[in-house]
Amino acid sequence: MKILIADDSRVMRQIVTRTLRQAGFGDHDLVEAADGQETLDKTVGEKPDLVISDWNMPEMTGVEVLRKLRAAGNDVKFGFVTSECTPEMQQAAEAAGAAFFIVKPFTAERFDEVFSPILG
Amino acid sequence: MSVEVVVNANDLFEMVEQVWVSYLDPEGINPLIPTGDEEQSSEVHSSVSITGSWTGHVVYASSTAAAKKAAAAFLAMGVEEVSDEDVTDVLGELANIVGGNVKAMLPAGALLSLPQVVLAPDSATKYPSAERITGLYGLWEGEPVSVSMWQSRNDMNKEETA
Repeated sequence: MKILIADDSRVMRQIVTRTLRQAGFGDHDLVEAADGQETLDKTVGEKPDLVISDWNMPEMTGVEVLRKLRAAGNDVKFGFVTSECTPEMQQAAEAAGAAFFIVKPFTAERFDEVFSPILG
Repeated sequence: MSVEVVVNANDLFEMVEQVWVSYLDPEGINPLIPTGDEEQSSEVHSSVSITGSWTGHVVYASSTAAAKKAAAAFLAMGVEEVSDEDVTDVLGELANIVGGNVKAMLPAGALLSLPQVVLAPDSATKYPSAERITGLYGLWEGEPVSVSMWQSRNDMNKEETA
């Protein structure tokens, strides 16, 4: 499977990558995006099976990317890894069609719990 | 609108403890030990601003050695390999994580800024319109680390007059 990791922080992209590996998902094909526009472009161009996205990014927020994808008929599995987790954000994520919502800081156990049903 | 300060030093400690457990001290060998020493010095700092239902800044500050150790742990590399860019990115992420967790405790309608990083002591950045309201001060393997919250004076005035 191909996974797109979208975060404007290089450190966080690296931590997400490492945590995926620790949770046993290191064999998947990983692609990265560093802002909202790149996330949208790569989701369309690279056709990942899963998008793990930050919320607050330059150019476009993660939820704006998700809304654009859904409006264009793209139903890729898409969810958020973010340090912000207010109820209204979770509701907005769910309403936009997000598959999961992971709060930073996170552990490999949390990744396993969320991604096992998706990645098998 | 009157906004009570809903985040205290214990809340900050719990948030920071989660960062340590998740990334900086997963084995539970070198936790951050709170000292309460508000006067402790720092050499680098990062911050995020929050605006809306609560307005102010969340500031993460530490010694350069603690920042390098954090960067090494975050990026899974040796301390001697850590560059200034690594330190900058990791400090930004630390402010973002703690700021995001603080925001989650505030009333709805708060916005979080992207982080700013300054490789100089936290005393080098002044917040002329804000006052420190709470903070967590501690030592990590003998190195100073702190997280403080600064509330906008306008925000505080609103509380008083509400």
